[in-house]
Amino acid sequence: MPRRLCSGNRMVAEGALAAGCRFFAGYPITPASEIYEVMMRELPRHGGMALSAPDEISSLCYCVGASLRGLKAMTATSGPGWALMIETLQYALMTETPVVIAVVQRLGPSTGGATQGAQGDVWLTEFATSGGYTIPVFCPSTAAECHDLTVHAFNWSERLRTPVVLLSDKEVGMTTEVVDDAVLATPPAVERADFAGGRPFLTYGFAQPEEVPAFAAVGGEVKVTVTGSAHDQQGRLRKNAPEVIEVLRHLERKIEVHAEEMELARTDLDPGASHLVVSYGITARAARQAVAALRREGVRVSFFQAQTLFPIPRRALDWALAGVENVLVAEENLTGQYRAVLARCLEGKRVVGINRIGGLIAPGEIVQAVRAAEA
Amino acid sequence: MAENQYLAPDAKLPYCRGCGHAAVVRHLSRALERLQLPPRSIALTTDIGCVGLADSLFPYLHTVHTTHGRSTAFATGMALAEVVLEPGGLKPVVMIGDGGAMIGLLHLVHAAQLNVDITVLLHNNFLFGMTGGQHSALTPLDFATATTPGGNWTPPLDLVALLRAAHAGFLARHLATDAALDATIAEAIAYPGFALVEILELCTAYGTRWNQLTGSKLKEIIARQGYQVGRLEAEAGRPTLRELYRRAPPSRPARAAAPEAEKPMTASPLTAELRLVVAGSAGERVQSAAALFCRAALAAGLYTTQKNDNPVTQGTGFSLAEICLSPRPIEYTGMENPDVVIVASGDGWKELQANGTFARCRPETLLLIDAELEAPPAQGRLLRLELRRAASPSRAALAGLAAWLVLSPFLPDAAWQAALATLSADRRAEPSEALRMGRELRADRTGTNP
Repeated sequence: MPRRLCSGNRMVAEGALAAGCRFFAGYPITPASEIYEVMMRELPRHGGMALSAPDEISSLCYCVGASLRGLKAMTATSGPGWALMIETLQYALMTETPVVIAVVQRLGPSTGGATQGAQGDVWLTEFATSGGYTIPVFCPSTAAECHDLTVHAFNWSERLRTPVVLLSDKEVGMTTEVVDDAVLATPPAVERADFAGGRPFLTYGFAQPEEVPAFAAVGGEVKVTVTGSAHDQQGRLRKNAPEVIEVLRHLERKIEVHAEEMELARTDLDPGASHLVVSYGITARAARQAVAALRREGVRVSFFQAQTLFPIPRRALDWALAGVENVLVAEENLTGQYRAVLARCLEGKRVVGINRIGGLIAPGEIVQAVRAAEA
Repeated sequence: MAENQYLAPDAKLPYCRGCGHAAVVRHLSRALERLQLPPRSIALTTDIGCVGLADSLFPYLHTVHTTHGRSTAFATGMALAEVVLEPGGLKPVVMIGDGGAMIGLLHLVHAAQLNVDITVLLHNNFLFGMTGGQHSALTPLDFATATTPGGNWTPPLDLVALLRAAHAGFLARHLATDAALDATIAEAIAYPGFALVEILELCTAYGTRWNQLTGSKLKEIIARQGYQVGRLEAEAGRPTLRELYRRAPPSRPARAAAPEAEKPMTASPLTAELRLVVAGSAGERVQSAAALFCRAALAAGLYTTQKNDNPVTQGTGFSLAEICLSPRPIEYTGMENPDVVIVASGDGWKELQANGTFARCRPETLLLIDAELEAPPAQGRLLRLELRRAASPSRAALAGLAAWLVLSPFLPDAAWQAALATLSADRRAEPSEALRMGRELRADRTGTNP
C-alpha cells in the first residue's frame, strides 16, 4: 500500500466509505467542507447518495431519515452547524438511530474564527443532550487516526444504535500530511443487527436494559413505530409509565456496559514516571514531541492520548495513572474542558492545565509545564 | 383490502369534538383504500402538535413521530434513501400543522425543489392548538388567537404559492369537510414526487372559541384571502428525483493522485526537521507550489505537513503555506521558529509581519525575499532574489523554493520529476519553468549571503 499526502478531512471521508457509509448530506462550513466535497464526489461511485442540504438541521434530519430506512449515514460540520443539529442529535439518540457526525472544531464562540483551530467543543459535543446522555466521542490527532476512528465511530454507532461524534479540528482536518496506508489500523466494518424474526417485533425491544434492540428498517416487512417522545418498547407514547422509565435507563445503560470495550488510547508509559501528560486531538502531537524532548533530558514522564473521549477511557487512564503524582492536561481551550471532565478520575493527584486559545500549544509550553511541576 | 389495514375501525380518535383532524385521518384512510397500497409501503411521518397523535390510529403503517416542524425533513431523508435502494417502494406521508410548516419551512421548500417522493398533508387550523391556541404564520388577518386577542395583524403566508415558486409538481387545497378530499389525497400519494395538500380546518378548542366561526364562515375567510380550492396550478412535467439524480452530471474524475510508491523513489540527505514558510499573494500559485514541493519531498522518502492560510475571501490578499519537512514522522505542525521564510510578494510580507512569523525568526533563519521588498523586521540571513521580475509573479513562490534548494539540496532532481509526473501533461510546463528559473536565480547569487 502506498504512502501518500492526505488531509485529515479527506481521511474522514475515506474512513466513512471504508465503514460502508451510503448516505451523506452536508452544508458548507469551514473547516469541515472538504469532507462534504469528497463525499459528494466519491459516494455516488460507491452506490450511495450524497446531497447538499439547505441547512445543518436538514443535513442531520436527512441522515436520520436515511438511517431509519436502513442506510449507514454521516454528516460533517463545525461548531456553528453543530449547534443547529443538537435537536436532531437528541432525536437520533431517543429513536436509537445510528448516525455519525464529524464535528471539525474551529475557534468559537459564535461564528468565531472559521480558519482558526480550537479544541473548544468538547463540552458542546458531550453535554448536548437534554437529560445528559452519553454521546460516544472519538478524537483523532493525525490523518491516519481520522480514517480509523471514523470507522470506529460508524461501528459503534451501528452496534449500539446511537449517534456518535468524530471530533476533529481545523488543524487535524485541513493539514496535509504523509499517510502510510500500510500502517492504518482500520477495524472491519460492523453492520447493525437486523431483526431476524421468530418473535413479535418491538421497535425498541430488549430483555435486559443493556441490550441493543434489533433493527428493522422503516419500509421493511415488519411494522416499525419510531418516536422521539418518551415511549415503551413498542414505541407507544406513554407518560410516566415504569416501562418508559426503563427505556430511558436502557438508552444510557447500553452505552455504559460497553464503555471499556470502546476505550481507545495511545499510551507511552514509563513505570517510574511521576508525571503524566494527558492530551487529545491536535495537541496530542505537541505532547508526544514534548515527552520525547523531556526524556532526552532524563525527565521521567508518561504520556496518555485519549482517542475515545467519551465514555472516558477509565481503565486505560487508571493504568497510566499508577504511581504518578502530577497530571498535566494539555488542550487548546480556555477552560480546561477535558481536564474538568477527568477531574473525577484524578483524585489525589496534582492536576495542572496547559491551555491556550487562538493558536497551537507548542511542545515547549508542555516541556516548561512539566519542568515547573518537577521543581 | 379491509379498512382495518389502514385506520383501525375501532380507533378512538383523540381529537376534540368537531376538530378537522378527525376528518383528515378518515379521508387519508379512504385514500389509501382507493390506492390499495400495502400498509408497509407507507411511512406515516407525523409532526408535533395534535396532528402528531395520528400515529397510533394506523396500526399497520410504519409510523415515524418526529420533532417540531422537521417531519418533512425526516421524510425526505427516507425518500432520498429510496433513490439508491433496490427495490425501493416506500412512500412517506407527512402530517404537519400550520405551526410546524413555518418552523420547518425550508424543509418544505427543499423537498419541493428536489421533487422528493413524499406527500405532505398540511393541517391548517390557523393556530397552534396543542399549546393553547397561539397564532401562527398562517393565521388569517383579524383572526383572534391566544397571542393576538385583538385579531391577527400580520398577513398570512400563502404556502401553496410559495411552494409553487419552489417548483412543486402537485398542489391542492381543500376544506377538511370536502367530500373530494380523499380523492385528492389519493392523487397526491399516487403522484411520483413532492405533493402538498393544504387542508383548512377549525380548531374547536380555540379557533371557534375566540372567533365567530362556522363552516360557512370558514369559506368566507378563505375567499377573503383569495385562496382557491381543489387541485391548484403546479409545475407540470417535473422529472422524478430518481431521474434527476441519475441525470446529474457525473463527478469530475479525481485529480491525478499524489505520488504513491511503496518505497521512496529517491533519497533525501535531510537528517533533521526543517520548517518553512512560503508567503505571497492570492492567485499566484503559492499553495500549489508548496503542494508540489511536498509531493517531491514524499518522493524523496521524507515526511511533510502542509498548512495553508489565506483571507476568508480566498481570491484576494495574502496566501501562505507552512511546511514541515523531516526524515521522521512529524508531530507538532506549528511554526514556532521557522528555518526558512520565502516571501514572494508584498501581501505575503504584510501577513508574515501581522501573524508574528517575522518576530519568531532566529539568527540562523534564512529569509529569502523578492528583491523589490524591503528588509523584514526579522532576525536571520537575508537573501534577495528577483523572484517576481525574473521568474514572474505566478512562478515566484516555486522559484523561491527551487532557489533555496540550490543552497540546501535536500530534494534530488528525481524527486521533482516524480512530483511533476503527478500533474497532467498540460500542467507540467509552468512549474517546470518556475523550477528552472529558480535554480538559475540562485546560481547567479551563490555565495552572496549578506
